[in-house]
Amino acid sequence: MSSKKVRSGLWIDPRTKIVLLLLCVLTAAMAPSLFYEILLVCLVSVFGLSCGKIRYALIGMIVYMIFYFLTLATMQLHGSVQVMLVAFFGLVHKVYPCGFLSGIILTTTKTGEFLSAMNRSHISKKIVVPIAVMLRHMPTIREDWRFIKDAMKMRDVSPSLKNFLKYPGMTIECIYVPLMMAASKTADELTIASVTRGIENPKPRTSFIQVRFGISDLIVFLCFLAMFLAGQFCKGVFL
Amino acid sequence: MSNQQSSYLNKKGLTVKDLVSIGIFNALFFVFELIGSLPFAPNPALTFYQPLGIALLCGPVFLLMVAKVPKRGNIAICGIINGIIWFVFGMHWAMDLGYIVMGIVADLAAGMRGCKNTKWNIAAFALFCLGPAGVFLAYSVNPAAWAQIMLEKGTSQEYIDIMANSAPIGMLPVILLGTVVLAIVSGLIGRKLLKKQFEKAGITA
Repeated sequence: MSSKKVRSGLWIDPRTKIVLLLLCVLTAAMAPSLFYEILLVCLVSVFGLSCGKIRYALIGMIVYMIFYFLTLATMQLHGSVQVMLVAFFGLVHKVYPCGFLSGIILTTTKTGEFLSAMNRSHISKKIVVPIAVMLRHMPTIREDWRFIKDAMKMRDVSPSLKNFLKYPGMTIECIYVPLMMAASKTADELTIASVTRGIENPKPRTSFIQVRFGISDLIVFLCFLAMFLAGQFCKGVFL
Repeated sequence: MSNQQSSYLNKKGLTVKDLVSIGIFNALFFVFELIGSLPFAPNPALTFYQPLGIALLCGPVFLLMVAKVPKRGNIAICGIINGIIWFVFGMHWAMDLGYIVMGIVADLAAGMRGCKNTKWNIAAFALFCLGPAGVFLAYSVNPAAWAQIMLEKGTSQEYIDIMANSAPIGMLPVILLGTVVLAIVSGLIGRKLLKKQFEKAGITA
């Protein structure tokens, strides 16, 4: 919309995305049937496609289909194995749409947009700053972990269970200390960076990126709302 | 350097540095929570022990966070963020509410000694870990209503049955006590790590 860069797919206001996530949690929580869940995941997938996350959306859909057919297969089983598996799939079906949607939202929202939107809706900085930092730091942890594993191999320590039982103290130290050291260093560096950019300024924050609601926000919101209401009031259709 | 640090500590309220640190340690905290709860949560016989997994793994991270941000409000913010994140991932509302409430309680406990006393910090961690057990508190108060809510959430009837069988009412104190004990063990390990590694490196504030 107002950003100058060319984006593939439509741009959605971060506030709308949060509302979508809430709606999705509610919808998944009150889903009347498995078929309805598939429609919900389809909707999320279409949302991902329209946001330009084509590969992610397709993979997410395929993985869900695999889960769906596995669930159908477990319905044929009997006994305690079935109970165990059904319980597991029950959890998957409950969490999957929300996780799928939050994945799309996280990868399409820039931190600047998020902060700007939160600022516009007057949410305390004490909550917004940690959340923004946390979401951006998650992928870094995975990267760090790969390096740490390599370094551990060089010292003949591996993060496996066997090694843990053999040398508990050593393994604990080798896992926690580098991760926490890295985290603490990043915290210092990020603080300096954000103070330099004037995050402590008491005046109201202005932003290069202007967030505002558009027609696409309304359409997406109405789609998800329709999905939710259909699940609540026309349960018979999905059984 | 020491001058700077003392002026930083004397500043009232949470500064940007504190907020960023809380955010980063929360990311690490969340990763360890995921690792801790993965072997438990999807298994109906073990779901009730999920807080134990969280308590066992997160101690050192929590202690370092408190040591780095020794101010009031740090743990409360940590709890609120955890509640929001778990809600987004579709968890039961009692768990999210538990995180927020126990975060504030733990904040008060650690704040009694100004977040400086390690023993009180470990106690605060034990309190914090009781947050996710809020689900099971909600369960034991009214098992019938609980089953209904979970059924609406898409969890199957058999799951509830197995949970009910593997968790007689006497299970609740075991879970709560076990969580506290494991949290204290994890906290002691964390204290050892802090003394051995991080205090020497000058990372703690």
